[in-house]
Amino acid sequence: MTTTRRSLLAATAMVPFAAQHARAQPRRILIGYQLPLTGEFSQYGERFRNSALMALEAFNRAGRLPVPVEIVFEDTRSDPREAVAVARKFVDNREIVAVLGDFSSSASIQAGRVYAEVGMPQLSQTASHPDFVKISPWQFRNITTQAYEGPRVAEWMRENGVRRVAVVAIQNDWGQSVVSNFAEAFRAGGGEVVATQFFNPGNREFRAILTEIARARPDAIYIGMFYEDGAAFLQQRRQLNIRIPVYATSSLYEPKLVELAGAGAEGIFLSTTFMSTSPEPHVRAFVEEYRRRFGSEPNMFSAQAFDAVNILLEAIVRAWPEVTRARVREELAKTRDFPGVTGVTTFDPETREPAKTLARMRIENGQFVLLR
Amino acid sequence: MRGALAPLAVAAVLFAILPMGLSMAGSGYLFRLADVTLIFCILSLSMQLITGVAGLLTLGHAAFYGIGAYTAAILSTRVGLDAGLTIPVAGLVSALFGVLIALPTMRLVSIYFAVATLGLGEMIYVTLLNWVSFTRGPLGIGDIPPLRPFGFDLSSPLGTYFLIAALAVLSLLIVHRIAHSYYGNALRALREDDQCADAMGLPVVRLKIEVFAIATFLAGIAGALWAHTTGYVNPADFRFAESILILAMVVVGGLGSIPGAIVGAALLILLPEALRAIGEVRILAVGLIMFLCILFLPKGLFGEVAALDLVRRQFGAAWRGGSAARPLGWR
Repeated sequence: MTTTRRSLLAATAMVPFAAQHARAQPRRILIGYQLPLTGEFSQYGERFRNSALMALEAFNRAGRLPVPVEIVFEDTRSDPREAVAVARKFVDNREIVAVLGDFSSSASIQAGRVYAEVGMPQLSQTASHPDFVKISPWQFRNITTQAYEGPRVAEWMRENGVRRVAVVAIQNDWGQSVVSNFAEAFRAGGGEVVATQFFNPGNREFRAILTEIARARPDAIYIGMFYEDGAAFLQQRRQLNIRIPVYATSSLYEPKLVELAGAGAEGIFLSTTFMSTSPEPHVRAFVEEYRRRFGSEPNMFSAQAFDAVNILLEAIVRAWPEVTRARVREELAKTRDFPGVTGVTTFDPETREPAKTLARMRIENGQFVLLR
Repeated sequence: MRGALAPLAVAAVLFAILPMGLSMAGSGYLFRLADVTLIFCILSLSMQLITGVAGLLTLGHAAFYGIGAYTAAILSTRVGLDAGLTIPVAGLVSALFGVLIALPTMRLVSIYFAVATLGLGEMIYVTLLNWVSFTRGPLGIGDIPPLRPFGFDLSSPLGTYFLIAALAVLSLLIVHRIAHSYYGNALRALREDDQCADAMGLPVVRLKIEVFAIATFLAGIAGALWAHTTGYVNPADFRFAESILILAMVVVGGLGSIPGAIVGAALLILLPEALRAIGEVRILAVGLIMFLCILFLPKGLFGEVAALDLVRRQFGAAWRGGSAARPLGWR
């Protein structure tokens, strides 16, 4: 009887210590990463995972924390059903302190509703939907949105003397934001948007749109699309011999664009946060290691994920030793002047929107050339 | 007594054993999988009525699911309508579109009808995508409130589960009573040969329109449940691939079989999750399993004949009259 009581007492006395011990010294720190590893977006998920593994290995090798950090990758196909299910799965795992992903804005928002409800910091490398960071204070993104890029392109055009512009964009959430943000800033600066055209995703026939906008006689065309569509657009522009200068969103920065569009891509202006030919040493180190390990050229998506993982790891280091979901969220919001491969990044603590340095480029002789 | 046993067992599993097990596991993940499976059960049951029982191959079912989801999303975010009302209204709006689409297409048969529904389904998707001022187009609609019908807070995992399970059982009951009745037999008759059915005096076009209305009503309910439990809808969630997924559930489960529709939905929702452990080949594995199912069980995992036999023995009150004139189901 006495022994039972004594051991019980001993056990209860141990509990607070055990709890404290567990808090001070977790065996490891877990991060969840939801991303499309199968399905139509798997090429992006593959890049995210490559970059994440690279960043994580370097971090653990440097030994900045006494315990290892691990990433749990879960495939969602960026499908709404799976994205929400995986979000629930990550939330159930008490060891996971923060989540990266998803790829598409739609899946990120649907998963984000779960994270907002439970209180889990979420950092997406690519979700550019304007509502994403508005879900709750738990959402962050490491991609500049068109609210940031649009006004800067508008300013660039004004500097180049463009007064009248035609805009062509893909009909999705991102394309909508390309048009609205650019047009607003361009008009505010005294310019005129003479034509706006949306095309449905999957459509590669731009001749009707090109004829239509050429008739409005703009000084420049601004295109918001991905490189596959962009290549078709630029080729068809050349075939129709329309010589209006083209400015493009950063999404067209992709070596394949020049390959696919050939001479059609010549002279295009575009801005970007990541440039694989950048002379900066940390960008060169990233590009070289990526090339060596995975045998392919890193693109904007690889770089976005690489920085997102590193930003989250930095936040965890700052939160140490109290690495909880709430503390990681607090520290993420304090991200300032992070020297990423996609530019120096600062998160606005209120809106949780990133600000990055944008580089200006032009395609000359089939090469992306930095303009200064 | 014997007739009440099987329905009681179904109710016990859905309303006692499963929720108890899920609560004990304390896993939001498993609750979510149960919710999604039940929502897709409603969808596959409703498509079973059109495609399996009435024999009209439809390729646009996701569009009605989408109309239901968007109706609930728009009514709850802009009008502030209660979830207790958005769910039935979503069903009605979806059924209205179902009838409108059925009117011109119901005189078409076989592949012509399939292609017509494919086209109309895509039209609805493109409308959701491009009518930006009304549906917010590709931006989707967010901040859809969780389920709090008439002041009852069912937004907890358990509450949500119970509401969805109740509506799924209600849908099952409706589909069961329709499919296993004289009315269902008439539908099967026009599936086998609609000209012959016409010659026998069955109002073929009216029957088809009615069954289409009922099925699209149920698809709308499923859409509203999806919208309220997910909180964000996007046109891309209701594309052609979703129609094909529902069709695959019906075919793998067994065309014309009500238990088959449930088995098919459960299989195609739960299998990809259960196979997470094998990594990236899991979707390939799901495809392979589907292929083998169709190869070795072309009539489905739970074929129509076996299903009718089961229903007749365990669930079919109308078949147990014992009178000289053996009934063929509910009148």
